[in-house]
Amino acid sequence: MTAVAAFAWSVLQDALHRKVFYAILAFSLLLMLLIPMLPSASVGVQVDLLREAALGLTSIMAFLLAVIMASTIIPGELGRRTLYNTLSRPVRRWQYYLGKFIGIMAVVAIALLVSLVVLLILVGAKFGTFNPGLAKAIFTIFLEAMVLASVAMLASVYLSPLVCILLAGLFYVACHVKGDFLYRAMTDSTNHALLRGLSGFLYYILPNLERMNINETIAHSERVFRVGAGELVLLSAIALVFSAIFIALGAYLFERRDL
Amino acid sequence: MEAVLSVEELHKAYRTRLGGPRRQALSGLSFTVPRNSVVGLLGPNGAGKTTTLKCVMGLVRPDAGKVSLFGRDGDAVEARRRVGFLPEQPYFDLYLTPRKLLHYYGRLSGMGASSARSRISYLLNLVGMEDDADLTMDKFSKGMLQRIGLAQALLAEPELLILDEPSSGLDPLGKLEMRDVLKSLGTGGTTILLSSHQLSEIEEICDRVIIIHRGREVASGRLDELLEEKGDCEVLLAEPAPGATSGLPSSASWAEDSGGKRLTVSREELSAALTALIESGASIAEVRSRRLSLEEFFVRRIGKTGWEVEE
Repeated sequence: MTAVAAFAWSVLQDALHRKVFYAILAFSLLLMLLIPMLPSASVGVQVDLLREAALGLTSIMAFLLAVIMASTIIPGELGRRTLYNTLSRPVRRWQYYLGKFIGIMAVVAIALLVSLVVLLILVGAKFGTFNPGLAKAIFTIFLEAMVLASVAMLASVYLSPLVCILLAGLFYVACHVKGDFLYRAMTDSTNHALLRGLSGFLYYILPNLERMNINETIAHSERVFRVGAGELVLLSAIALVFSAIFIALGAYLFERRDL
Repeated sequence: MEAVLSVEELHKAYRTRLGGPRRQALSGLSFTVPRNSVVGLLGPNGAGKTTTLKCVMGLVRPDAGKVSLFGRDGDAVEARRRVGFLPEQPYFDLYLTPRKLLHYYGRLSGMGASSARSRISYLLNLVGMEDDADLTMDKFSKGMLQRIGLAQALLAEPELLILDEPSSGLDPLGKLEMRDVLKSLGTGGTTILLSSHQLSEIEEICDRVIIIHRGREVASGRLDELLEEKGDCEVLLAEPAPGATSGLPSSASWAEDSGGKRLTVSREELSAALTALIESGASIAEVRSRRLSLEEFFVRRIGKTGWEVEE
């Protein structure tokens, strides 16, 4: 595991030396701080509005970080040829792949923790309340970012960063509309058989990422639906299973790739 | 002699673009690198040298054939632990300092922190980078990066050192230092496989060569045996003799270089040539088998072949 940890650490070190990491984080935090200046609705929903908008911003920041990093690490190291020095050592390619993925998620986790702290301080300072429940939403954002990163990294074994980012975006959209759009497309008998077949295929193989989106529930203090530990464990299991599948597939392809 | 590296019937073809023709980079290449030897891998551009080294290091998967390191499969981690590799024009994450970079590679090589620390200090000193060891590498010259490249290749005290164009980017003094380091490693028992375009470097450092062209071996063996021109002899005169050209056999020809005037003659006509020289009053300093320069040998072996594209 030393090699996996070394690879993960190298991603963390690399990210902390890149301006883009700080730029994305700072932009997100700045927008978060500007939310209270939005033309507000009724006074009673101000705190809900702040929490929902801030969690939305945090989601975008985390997904961008995860997808951009996952899409660029392998093509970047190939382009710079730093992979030659690394993979000629007594390490396995899957160790490199897994280590880099863990490193990406460590960077996302740091960014999310910073966002959580800022959000807690902001809500506390503005409304005098402490909302530890926000951590649940931050955790599910992390889970969703993990699935997206694993997809982007799988694509990056052979494709360019831009294509990977686009594919990850498409994946995100498809996984969020599957419960509604894909289900209807699959079950509507007036649709062409091919469309129904494709919709059904995607419906059954794609994860339902919309289920991981608990921002609204948390923003409204779980008044309608309470997110318990069981739900979080289930979401974690879904995210881990799908990420593991994509990581295993990516590592398998990377193992066979000429460098 | 025990082979530390054995390459058998290696084939590799690349597709230059999607759906395009496949270019055959390696076409059944086989060779061995004996323990304690310093072997030069030679070939013109596109001969397959870098592909060969990448196959050996597991960076490229051959289409067919086998690579064995220390008697094990070339992919085995235990085998690769005993190999150091310097790629052509090594690239690093330039925000790191040489010391941090080497510590990172040390961890990947399974070295302990304390043993890595002392080894890194020794290597930075060896490649003349101890004063710059804690500066970030973004301002380093190509030559400085090449020195760091050599240090990383030597990090885990490899028994087999594989170098792709190690002198690339170095100034004349740097090249001399690189040769000295490689010579001293070779003398110290490290087996070296060295790919280079610089024939003088190969001739000076290596005791064996493998010449490849179009992905195949065209010559290999001990350098002194390969360069010996078996059919011809050379006669060196102690001092110029104006009348020494008369009465020489038909195969004799004169050449002059920094070592003085030399007569090249076939072995069969050597006696006749010596008699003619002595009779003309020439003073003979040395008679020896003619030895080609590596450049002459290389041109003779490579000059006969063409290019190959497999559709």
